[in-house]
Amino acid sequence: MRNRSVSFWLFVTPTLLALALVVFVPFIYGFVFSFTDWNGLSANEFIGLANYVELFQDKEFLNSIWFTIKFAVASIVLVNVIGLGLALLVTQRMRSSNILRTVFFMPNLIGGLILGFIWQFIFVSAFDAVGSALGIEALQGWLSTTETGFWGLVILNVWQYAGYIMIIYIAYLESVPEELLEAAEIDGANSIQRFWNVKFPLVAPAFTISLFLTLSNAFKLYDQNLALTNGGPFNSTQMVAMEIYNTAFSESDMAYAQAKAVIFFILVAAVALTQVYYNKKREVDL
Amino acid sequence: MMGDKKFLSKVFIAMVLAAVLVVAGCSSSDNASGDSDSGDGVTVDIFQFKVEFKEQFEELVAKYQEENPDVTINVQTVGGGNDYAASIKSQMSSGDEPDIFNVGGPTDIEEYRDYLSDLSDTAAAEAALEGTLNSVTEGDQILGLPYSQEGYGLIYNKAILEQAGINPDELTTFEALEEAVATLDSQKEDLGLEAVFALPAKELWVMGNHLANAYIAPEFENDITAAYEAETINFEYGDQMKRMLDLQSSYSVQPVLSLDYSQQVEQLFAQGKVAIIQQGNWIYPTLEQMDPEFAENNIGMIPMPVEGLEGHLPVGVPQYWVVNKNSSEEVQQAAKDFLDWMYTSDAGKEMVLNDFKFIPAYEGYDTAQISDPLSQVVYSYSEEGKTIGWTFMATPVGWNEDVLGVNMQRYLNGDIEWQEVLDTAKQEWEKSRQ
Repeated sequence: MRNRSVSFWLFVTPTLLALALVVFVPFIYGFVFSFTDWNGLSANEFIGLANYVELFQDKEFLNSIWFTIKFAVASIVLVNVIGLGLALLVTQRMRSSNILRTVFFMPNLIGGLILGFIWQFIFVSAFDAVGSALGIEALQGWLSTTETGFWGLVILNVWQYAGYIMIIYIAYLESVPEELLEAAEIDGANSIQRFWNVKFPLVAPAFTISLFLTLSNAFKLYDQNLALTNGGPFNSTQMVAMEIYNTAFSESDMAYAQAKAVIFFILVAAVALTQVYYNKKREVDL
Repeated sequence: MMGDKKFLSKVFIAMVLAAVLVVAGCSSSDNASGDSDSGDGVTVDIFQFKVEFKEQFEELVAKYQEENPDVTINVQTVGGGNDYAASIKSQMSSGDEPDIFNVGGPTDIEEYRDYLSDLSDTAAAEAALEGTLNSVTEGDQILGLPYSQEGYGLIYNKAILEQAGINPDELTTFEALEEAVATLDSQKEDLGLEAVFALPAKELWVMGNHLANAYIAPEFENDITAAYEAETINFEYGDQMKRMLDLQSSYSVQPVLSLDYSQQVEQLFAQGKVAIIQQGNWIYPTLEQMDPEFAENNIGMIPMPVEGLEGHLPVGVPQYWVVNKNSSEEVQQAAKDFLDWMYTSDAGKEMVLNDFKFIPAYEGYDTAQISDPLSQVVYSYSEEGKTIGWTFMATPVGWNEDVLGVNMQRYLNGDIEWQEVLDTAKQEWEKSRQ
């Protein structure tokens, strides 16, 4: 590795160049613009921290952060629990396990926007029809209140990502050495004990990856949000990404939106790095 | 092996060079497009907003190019609302500026003021109907040319109203309308209705832009410019706005907050499950596609009642064409010629009326040819001058939807009182007009 030859740089340069052009440069640009009054066309004035001061009093923005955090917590827990559950299910020696893997993974292949519209139909029309046929009031009027909008988003997200996360857990579950499980069995451990004391610690690296993926995904969610609720009712189910987009493009307040995006970036980076650091410490090395 | 390695690194050097060239090529072509390709003709780039008539518009462009072989026109269409605003903005800041693009009204005009050239010398500006240029006139300069006219009101199902013995032409006051709605509601089952109205409260534009405007425009005496310059708003007609909103929501299919445009028009109104909806003439093509018979013979439109302005329909210009000032003189002229041809030549007029199905915003059209019933209604109100302006093109950016619309949703949900809706909206208006 230390011997970085010409060919090393030749391999790296194109990617690095592309990454710099589409990620680093715009990022720095955006950071600079967040200190101005840029409206998307021209920046006239350097206004220092005014945008940042304003956004901490912006109820709409703070609400959307709070909503996103709640959403992230609910969906991270559910995606991982269900993903792991599915992984345990399909690693049992069952005849249908291959089909089940495919089926569970499938929702992940559908684009977020289409999924959003499909689920909108399910929540609004199908739920309503079932609800009124069976007289279950809880199934009626979905997406018209903040709570149902929230759970609608969580359900959609869990349905889409549990299968993807399942694949990661499967990979780790299958790499748990047979002899350890066998030894545990000989020592008289039942299947629950075998899971908690042998499999679970060995699958820990999968948690690191899965938590990181679900976390960043839950924070950055946009298209499902747009298609399912579009922030409604009264912007109460608006997540941070959407709030920023709307500030930028429907209120035309680019620099302010940029400042929000910087705060958003710091928030997500802080949460994700803490989480990776903490989980790394807990991993068991064989 | 060594030979292979050398070969590979040569390949990569070549690829890197190629990549650099591509990048360089992109940036230099930016400067080239915008300007004219002098020598063999002019190139005009159009960046337009209306997805609904993309194909027909491209046909018209092809026809124009046939007649004018030295002009090349490139059309790019990006759909509705925010998406258009976002793309035009990024196009402008990338330096790849289109020569013709669209703006909505005074608010957009201010934002793009540096890009707009004067169109007062065009034949189309000359022919534009009175009032349609108000919001794009600045001194003696005319900065935009209207697309078409559109109007909205209460669209009703003729057969259902007839069956209930209601004459829609008499519903000019709140009292009459409320009575009729109560009658319809009491006969819901016989008429096969789910409810009288379908209020798509999920769509902020239906409430925040359209419904509210009928009761905001009169305060500014229907003058878009007055609304644009106003430092405050007093909601003189706020009670009536509430009355209209309450009427629609309490007799609507529930829950209103998750009801959207397509449910309102396609699932409920077109299927005869509701009798009246608040919408505009733009729903006609959708209805026609679903059931041409129903669309042609069975629908009509009346204005929403406004006390003091009975029998006035909100009619406005949805978008304006503008020509980019930064394009070369030659391209600007070609762009103006094209717009003139579209709206004032016989061939152009023919297509505007019959293929685009626009309600013309210009003189000299054979208006007997306007085929659909909703457009006819809009045109006749506009001809008689009985219109209410579209002030939502001149309110502070995002105010109608993100402030008024959102708070109306809160009100409908029972979270806040009506007065709070108005107070918040007033505050926000003043804040952004400081």
